[in-house]
Amino acid sequence: MNVSDSTPLKDVLYAFSMARPIPNAELLDDFARRYPTHAAALTDFAVSIVLDLARGEDDEEAAHAIEPTVSKAVSRAMSRFQNKLFEVQQSRTTGATLAATQSDVVNPFAPLDRKGFRHLAEHLNCNAVFVQMLRDREIEPATIPPRFTQKVSDELSVPMELVAAHFAAQPQVYGGQYYKSMEKPRASTRVSFEDAVKQSGLTEEQQTYLLGLLS
Amino acid sequence: MARALTKKDQDGNLYTRPAFVEEKIDGALGQDLPTLLRRSQVTQKSNPDFLPLECLVHLIREFRRQDDQHAMSTFLPVLLRRCESILKSKVPDDYLPMAEDVREEILGEFSLLFAEDNPQGATTELDYYECKFFHAFRTFRMPIIERARAEREPLVSLPAEDKSGEEQDIDEVLSRLSEEFRQPATQINHASRNELLRAIETLPRDQAKAVLLCYFFGFSEESEDPSETTAATLCDVTGRTIRNRLGRAMNALSKILKKEDLCQ
Repeated sequence: MNVSDSTPLKDVLYAFSMARPIPNAELLDDFARRYPTHAAALTDFAVSIVLDLARGEDDEEAAHAIEPTVSKAVSRAMSRFQNKLFEVQQSRTTGATLAATQSDVVNPFAPLDRKGFRHLAEHLNCNAVFVQMLRDREIEPATIPPRFTQKVSDELSVPMELVAAHFAAQPQVYGGQYYKSMEKPRASTRVSFEDAVKQSGLTEEQQTYLLGLLS
Repeated sequence: MARALTKKDQDGNLYTRPAFVEEKIDGALGQDLPTLLRRSQVTQKSNPDFLPLECLVHLIREFRRQDDQHAMSTFLPVLLRRCESILKSKVPDDYLPMAEDVREEILGEFSLLFAEDNPQGATTELDYYECKFFHAFRTFRMPIIERARAEREPLVSLPAEDKSGEEQDIDEVLSRLSEEFRQPATQINHASRNELLRAIETLPRDQAKAVLLCYFFGFSEESEDPSETTAATLCDVTGRTIRNRLGRAMNALSKILKKEDLCQ
């Protein structure tokens, strides 16, 4: 028997879980002897697995149907993923500038060229200024109507979760743009969707349409 | 061919994917992204396009290794949505207060594994998910659920402790526990077993643990042989404490089951 009590608890629990669909006395006894300092945690875990059976076996087909629309939980998980990815990449790229690293974070608007940008603006019934605000995450994500996020997702042909995660991430200045200033532009503070609509030089018809998505 | 896993089990053997997962991965690796995206949303196993969750994890890790941010960010939400549907069954709204927050916490923490996955292919936790996704995912979610349960326990109304339970009711509970938990796997009445488990789940955790260790796992309450593993050694308490917990648990269970008209 390979007794190794220095194994991290997490790995011990994974190994225990992988060994059998439902643990039995023999397995629990074996693991408790191998990892005596983790015996209490293993016992709690074994009990939890058995109690978990009360809500059915692990089976995707028996689970709830996948939500047709993006859920808040998935959106937020994607946002956490993006932020963590950024953090991990930043720590691995010593000396790289923030702007350079930020360009690695997925921005679904990034592949758009000038023509694509205009085309998107037209299909979203807005203008390039407004799309630019979306691209640079200048709009408070909680104020963006889900229907609008869905439309952006459809037009860009990317999952809605990705668009929602992009909006939820930290504001950025898109590195691929030129700027006329003595200083490099900084990410601005966010405005509400309603204010963005009113401040972007949109026509009255466009404003009415976009504000109508709020109701 | 799918990249070999590097995680080893407690005996030093490399974890390997089941053959059907290897087969699905091999079939998927040559396909274009729109096809894979469509396939990744199929959840019926009988559908030939079905991609098991193990395969989806592998694909996302491959995108991570290739630094294909777009593909990774396209497929990870699909995986998370499939996980969310599992969580809605495993952590339903009536299971504990603010269950939605708990599901969100699990998904959020789970997504971090992919951000932290090492593109150079070093050993990581995600190897487990390419072998047996469901077993790995329960290992991941349970500590979070237990933590939430512990935090919310005072909010959950527990059955009142009553030591005046009738002997007959307790005998019925004992008989039912033995009957349900000692059945061969092929003869298990899942609905009945799950009802009993749900009743046990409402007990304070130390009582539920004593019941399951003695009746589900079949450990002795205690033993004179110090080398024997028993409910008492696993809980690090005396045999008397285990018996006390069992006594309180039986009283409570007889009331719960009687109330639910399950104990006949």
